Amino acid sequence: MSPPPHVLDIQVAPDGTATLPPLTPEDAARSRDRFRVHHARHQRRRWYLLWLLVGPGILAMLGENDGPSMISYATSGATYGIGFFLPFIVVTFAMAVVCQEMSMRVGAVTHRGYGQLVLERFGRLWGWFSAGDLILTNLVTLIAEFVAIRVGLAYFHMGAGIAALLGVTLIVFTLSGGRYWRWERIVLGMAIFNGLFLAAALLVKPHWGSVGHALATFSPFPGGSFNTLLLLIASTIGATVTPWMIFFQQSASADKGLTPRDLRHGRYDTIAGGVLAALFGCGALIAGAALAAHGGSNIQGLAGAGFPAALSRVSGHAVGVLFALGLIEAGAVAVLTISASTGYAVGECIGAPHSLNSSARGAVLFYAANIGAALIAAAIILIPGVPLLSIALNANVLATVLLPVALVFMIMLANDRDLMGAWVNGRWLNRVAVAIVAFISVCGAAYAIDSFLQVVHVI
Amino acid sequence: MTEQELIHYLESDQLVAERSVPVPRARLSRRASAGLWALRVFVVLVSAMVVYTFVWQLGH
Repeated sequence: MSPPPHVLDIQVAPDGTATLPPLTPEDAARSRDRFRVHHARHQRRRWYLLWLLVGPGILAMLGENDGPSMISYATSGATYGIGFFLPFIVVTFAMAVVCQEMSMRVGAVTHRGYGQLVLERFGRLWGWFSAGDLILTNLVTLIAEFVAIRVGLAYFHMGAGIAALLGVTLIVFTLSGGRYWRWERIVLGMAIFNGLFLAAALLVKPHWGSVGHALATFSPFPGGSFNTLLLLIASTIGATVTPWMIFFQQSASADKGLTPRDLRHGRYDTIAGGVLAALFGCGALIAGAALAAHGGSNIQGLAGAGFPAALSRVSGHAVGVLFALGLIEAGAVAVLTISASTGYAVGECIGAPHSLNSSARGAVLFYAANIGAALIAAAIILIPGVPLLSIALNANVLATVLLPVALVFMIMLANDRDLMGAWVNGRWLNRVAVAIVAFISVCGAAYAIDSFLQVVHVI
Repeated sequence: MTEQELIHYLESDQLVAERSVPVPRARLSRRASAGLWALRVFVVLVSAMVVYTFVWQLGH
């Protein structure tokens, strides 16, 4: 067995005895995980080391391939077919990888969450503004996640009550272990089933020449209503880069115990998540595109989100089943990750314990925020007549609109030499990151302003 | 292996006791502060438009 790295500052008392800093159960749990990482690295067990270190990146990316995102991709496909939006999804996930890499790096180097760092570095006002943004968008998004679970279950003739119960039960079950590692592995195991959307895409037998042409040329460019196009562009961006992902990956990287030595594996994790999410997201769009020639832009049923039933009629029962199961999975995984990010944000901003390595008794507020946010969202979907598709799409748009603030603070933190030392952003990364913020701001604002002006009858 | 032995596998600033010590406040230039406020006002205005539009759509 290799010796420990002995990186702790051992306090030496005047009488010569060595004393360790005060330890908590959270420290003990995290040190067990770091023990395994240390020995895997020392024994050059590369694949095992990768297995130990992946998690936050894949979960952030596949967590964002959530119910509203998949409905948004399918809506784009059903409305415009395979064309502009297919490569656009790939581009947005490339943007997500850039943003999430910064998030992972800041978490691994500082061992602190995003909310805590913004609050401490830029003051309470900015910290609470960021957390407030997050809590608002998370609540709306969580409602949309329960909507997705409900839409999926409706295909199997199950009601909203079962959707609400399933989501809340999953949260309580995954949190019950009091260990980050256990929570992460359960959610990773569930997230694999995001691949059901890819299976659905294969079963609709797309024309692969059209797929290749769209990826290479971004065409055909969508026509029709300019406002609908802006809505789908904004919601597609909101489906791939969101404030909760930034909070989540930084906090989860710190909670997992990543250190600067793990940055390379953290990047593998983030890139793998981005590639898988782009692949599965494109699958949802291709599956949705099967409806383009069958009135897909007017999908009705369950307040406008009846994709599984529509796909079943057009492409066969198996596609409908896969899409419905995919929506249940997408909603369920996102309920878990988004609730966790809410818990992290609340705990970090209030200064209360906030770790999945703490017991519920040791981090009451963290667990309460985690479960409470989901309970509120679950209660809302039980209200009859709620416009499900509209909530799902607008949740993504709201996330897009609020994203620039989160990204600007992330760029500032990743450039903070006092915090990051040698691991600050490079010049090219900063240029790319600033371009991403500008692009997202313009897209979000364009839809918001155009829609608002139409509503108040100015245009 | 005891907890006291395992704890050596953590970096010192990974300990809960260390993480709860606040990092010092950053000194922002006036330009940076103004830029952040401008961004905040922009985001609040645009968010209000999205929420208003969404509520209007619900009513129609």
